[in-house]
Amino acid sequence: MEREKLIKRLIIKCFDIHSVNISKKNGIDKNKMLIDKDCVNQLMQQEKDIKNVNINIIKPREHNCRIDTIMDFIPISTKVLGRIGEGITHTLTGVYVMLTGVNTKGVQMSGFGSTDGYLKDNLKLGCPGTPEEDDYIIHFNVVLKGDVPTTRELSLVAHRACDIFIQQFRNILKMKDGRLADEIHEYVERKSENKKRIVVIKQVAGQGAFHDNIILPAEPSGVKGGRSIIDMGNVPVILSPNEYRDGAIRAMT
Amino acid sequence: MGLGPSTKETTLHHFRDPLLNIISKDKDIDLIGIIVVGTPQSNSEKYYVGRRAATLAEAIQVDGVIISVDGWGNSHVDFANTIEEIGKKSIPLVGISFIGVQGKFVVTNKYMDTIVDINKSPKGIETEVLGENSVSEYDCKKALAFLKLKMKRKKE
Repeated sequence: MEREKLIKRLIIKCFDIHSVNISKKNGIDKNKMLIDKDCVNQLMQQEKDIKNVNINIIKPREHNCRIDTIMDFIPISTKVLGRIGEGITHTLTGVYVMLTGVNTKGVQMSGFGSTDGYLKDNLKLGCPGTPEEDDYIIHFNVVLKGDVPTTRELSLVAHRACDIFIQQFRNILKMKDGRLADEIHEYVERKSENKKRIVVIKQVAGQGAFHDNIILPAEPSGVKGGRSIIDMGNVPVILSPNEYRDGAIRAMT
Repeated sequence: MGLGPSTKETTLHHFRDPLLNIISKDKDIDLIGIIVVGTPQSNSEKYYVGRRAATLAEAIQVDGVIISVDGWGNSHVDFANTIEEIGKKSIPLVGISFIGVQGKFVVTNKYMDTIVDINKSPKGIETEVLGENSVSEYDCKKALAFLKLKMKRKKE
């Protein structure tokens, strides 16, 4: 008989979004997402290196638009109970945030290879790290001040700004009734005695600006509360499978 | 450094990483954890962190390792070194990396005999299209199948 011991449980509840629209107030209501574009620049007042931020809603299959380089695609998820890797997480499906960045001198915020240009030419849909054809994209474009050197800190400024914006929706998503979720996934970590033990090593970037990763932020796929792999000296950090699938890494590559 | 858009793993990629989905669904496998290791700038640091990763894998007494790398070129120095350190400890291992035509290994060693190439572009290059050369479920299934075979051979 195979002996298994239950060690941890993570429940991810998905709320599917069917439409995203501009509104006077941020909100998530019955598969509809509303965004107040004006809230953004108010939120950014603390960030002195940012000139301005623009929010656009890109509808499914309307990718014939010009963008600055894509810094990241981020899911909107939040902890409802427990810390990353345990308890309950709420996440939105059907919509993802696309962070793009440039400075006022036109320098693209990317390391090697930029994806600025027409979105349709620079994005392969349907990959694990990119949206599906039917997904909405909330385009968060950061324009940074041109006289600030493009350092690690500047990349962090863009990601932090985007995180502050996403947090507005996390706070709303936290309050959603879990029973109304469109999908519920339960992940149980079991300690097993008769199976082959495997570890996955993920070698991630850690060389400097645009080659950084934040490990274990306070909110899934967030920035705040996490530690940069560079600041940790790039030494290995072990995550449980549930921590990893609960958004333990914020890629700033 | 060689970290282009087509191989770049976004935050969304980590959130729904096919590697994790495939391995944790397999009934013969107990996934112990995910070791996240950085890619430092200097060579001495590259060796330092690679040795730490290998020692950690040995300490937690795993039967096998799958190692993937986000990037190529300079990052392959770290990749090759970590693989060598794990190989020296006689732990079966499979690597996952972008290789294609453009990303041929700059350094190799005898333990790098099982690497799954995630290139999807017809020309084998960094296409600068976000996601194009990213790890797919198929790549992960292949890596896991190779690892199972290597673990079985070691037992024999």
